[in-house]
Amino acid sequence: MLSIQDMHKAFGEVVALDGCTLAAARGTMLGFLGPNGAGKTTAMRSVFGLMRPDSGDVTWDGHPIGLEQRRRFGYMPEQRGLYPRMKTHDQLTYLGRLRGMTATAAGLSASQWLERFGLGDRGGDAVETLSHGNQQRVQLAAALIHDPELLVLDEPFSGLDPIATETMAGVLREQAASGKAVIFSSHQLDLVEDLCEEVAIINKGLIVVEGAVRSLKDAAPIRHLEVEVDGDASALFESLSGIRSIDSDGNRHHLIIEAGTDVRGLLVAAQEGGRLRHFSYTAPSLSDLFREAVK
Amino acid sequence: MTDLGTVWRIARRELRERGRSKTYLITSVVTALLIVGLILIPQLLDGGTDDYKVGTVGSGNEPIIEGAELLGNANVEPGAEASISVTQVDFEDREEAEAALEAGEIDAILVEGSEVIVEAVGGFGESPIVSFLQRGAASVELESIVAQEGDVAADVIQIMTSDPLEITTLSGQVAGDESRGAVAYAGLLLLYGAVLLYGSWILSGVTEEKTNRVVEVLLSSIKAWQLLAGKILGIGILGIGQFTATILIAITTIRLVGVFELPTLNAFAVVNLIVWFILGFLLFAVMFGAAGSLVTRMEDAQSVAFPMSMIAVVGFFVALATLSDPDGVVAVVGTFIPLTAPFVVPVRAALDAIPWWQYAAAVVLTIGTIVWLVFVAGRIYAGGLLRYGGRVKVREAWQSAAE
Repeated sequence: MLSIQDMHKAFGEVVALDGCTLAAARGTMLGFLGPNGAGKTTAMRSVFGLMRPDSGDVTWDGHPIGLEQRRRFGYMPEQRGLYPRMKTHDQLTYLGRLRGMTATAAGLSASQWLERFGLGDRGGDAVETLSHGNQQRVQLAAALIHDPELLVLDEPFSGLDPIATETMAGVLREQAASGKAVIFSSHQLDLVEDLCEEVAIINKGLIVVEGAVRSLKDAAPIRHLEVEVDGDASALFESLSGIRSIDSDGNRHHLIIEAGTDVRGLLVAAQEGGRLRHFSYTAPSLSDLFREAVK
Repeated sequence: MTDLGTVWRIARRELRERGRSKTYLITSVVTALLIVGLILIPQLLDGGTDDYKVGTVGSGNEPIIEGAELLGNANVEPGAEASISVTQVDFEDREEAEAALEAGEIDAILVEGSEVIVEAVGGFGESPIVSFLQRGAASVELESIVAQEGDVAADVIQIMTSDPLEITTLSGQVAGDESRGAVAYAGLLLLYGAVLLYGSWILSGVTEEKTNRVVEVLLSSIKAWQLLAGKILGIGILGIGQFTATILIAITTIRLVGVFELPTLNAFAVVNLIVWFILGFLLFAVMFGAAGSLVTRMEDAQSVAFPMSMIAVVGFFVALATLSDPDGVVAVVGTFIPLTAPFVVPVRAALDAIPWWQYAAAVVLTIGTIVWLVFVAGRIYAGGLLRYGGRVKVREAWQSAAE
C-alpha cells in the first residue's frame, strides 16, 4: 500500500501541499481529483523523489521508498517525456533496462505492449512521428514496461479521443484487477466515477474528501429528484419537506432535496393523477461531490 | 542492478543514438576533410613545377640558365618533381625578344650573359625568375674565380644553398623547433575545438532531456549523478574516437604528403594530447552538464554556457602566450590553474619545455578539480533538472537538490 503522510511542501510563497495524507491500496484504482494548482502533481512527484517535501513521509507497505523500490513503480508524468527521435521499441526497451530488466525481457515486454496498443508495426519509428494519442499510449507503455507494483499516472486521459480513452481505461482496469495499486489524476469526473472504486479530492494542498465512491455518494447530504408530470406540479412539491432548490424546465422539474427526505408520498401522489412521465431519485454525482468539496 | 551498470546503460544509449546520428557522422567527415584540406591546400598551391621561358640574345647565356635551374631545384629531394624548369628561347636580336616579352610569350630576356630584361621590377609584378637568374649568374662568376679543374658548378651550388650557421634563440630553442611549435599549435587548436564541441554536446543533451521532460521519467528510476556520468561517458567515448581519428588522419596526411618533418610526433606527443583531451573534456563536461540543467529551453542554453566558453577562451590565449614563451611566468601559472592547464600543459609538453614534476602536478591538480566539480556540479545538476521555467539560479538548484 502506498501511503503519503502529513506532507508539507512550499515553493517560496506558494504552498503546494499543506498536510496532505493519502493512501492507495493494491488491487484498487484511486482517482486523484482536485482543481488546477491543488497539489496533485506535487504529491505524485513526491512518490518518485522528484520533489523533496518540507516535511512528511511517503511509504510503500510501511517502508520508506528507495531507488530499488521506485524501480518497481511506474510513472507517467503530466508533461509527457520521451526522446522524440529515438525509435519507439528501442526507447521502451531502454526504459525497461533502466528499471533493471534484462535486455531480452525488456524487448519482449516492449513488443507486447506495442502490440496491445495497436502499434506493433511502429516499433521502428521515431516517437516524434507518432500521433498525439499514440505517443500517449507509448508513454503509458513506458510506465508499464516493467510490470510495476504501483502505477502513478498524472492526467493519463488528457487529450485522448473516446477510442483511446477506452483503451487506456481498459488497461488501467486490468492492472488494478491483477492486484496493482493504481492512482491517477484527472479532471474527467464522469470517467473517474465510472472507473474508480476509490477517490481522493485535494484542495489547497489538503485532502478534503477520501473514500469509496459508493459510500461517499451515500453519505452525501443531498439527493437529486427529477420529475416530469403533465400540468401544474407545484401542488405536488408542497407536501415535500427538505427541498433545497427547484429548477423547472417546462414540465420537467429538477429538485435538490435533503438526503433523509421521504419521496414515496410524492411518487404515489404523482402516479394517482396518471400524469407521471418521468421519476428519478439519485445520489449526487462525483461532479457534485467535487464541487461541494472544493467550494 | 549496480550503480555503474546504470551509468554504462545510459552511456550506451548515447553511443548508439548519437553515434548513429547524422550530426556525428557529418562532424566526423567535416573535421577530417578540414584537417586534410588545411594540410593539403598550401601544398597544392605551392606544388608542381613552375615553368619559365627565358629569351636569350647573344652568347654567354647558357651557363646562367643552367645555374638558375640547378639553384631553383637545390632543395628538391632526389627523384621528386622539379620545383622549376627553365626553357631557353633564342632570338636574333633584342627588338625581336622584347616583342616576345611584350606579348607574354617569355618571362624574361637574358642579353649577352650580362643583362636581364623584364616587364616590371619590384612588387608583385616582378617575376621570380629574376632572382634565380641573378643567383645563376653569381654562381657562374664564382665558378670562374674558383679556378679548379673540372666541373665545380654542383659544389658551388651546394655551398650556396646550405645554411652553415646553426641558429639558436635566447629562449634556448634549437633549429627544428618551428615544426615543434607548429605541432604544439595544431594540438592546441584541436584541444580547444574538441573541448568546446563535445562540451556543447553535453550541454544540449542535458537541456534537451529537460526540454522534452524525459528527465522526469528517467529520474523516477535512476539517480541524477548516474544520468550525468553516463552522458559524459558516452559523449566522451564518441569524442575520443573522433579526436583520435582526427589526429591520426592529420599525421597520416602529413607523412604521405611530406609537408614538413615531424621530429616531435612520437608516441608521447599523441598520448600527451589524448590525456589532456580526456582531462580537459571531463573538466568542462561536468560544468557544461550543470549549466545545461539550469535551463528548460534550448535558446537559453548558450547563455548559461557563456562562463565556460569564456574560461576556454582565456585558457586558449594563455596557451598562445605559452607558445612564444613556454618557460615564462604566464606558462607556469597557467600550468597550476586547473582551468587553464588542459590548454597550457600540452603546449609546453609539445615544446619539451615543462619539468616532469610540473607536468605531474598539473595532472594531479586537474584530476582533483574534476573530482571536486563532480560533487558540486553534480548537485547543481540534480537540483536544476527538476525545476522548470526560465533560468534556474545556481543557488536555487544547489538548495533544491535532494542529495
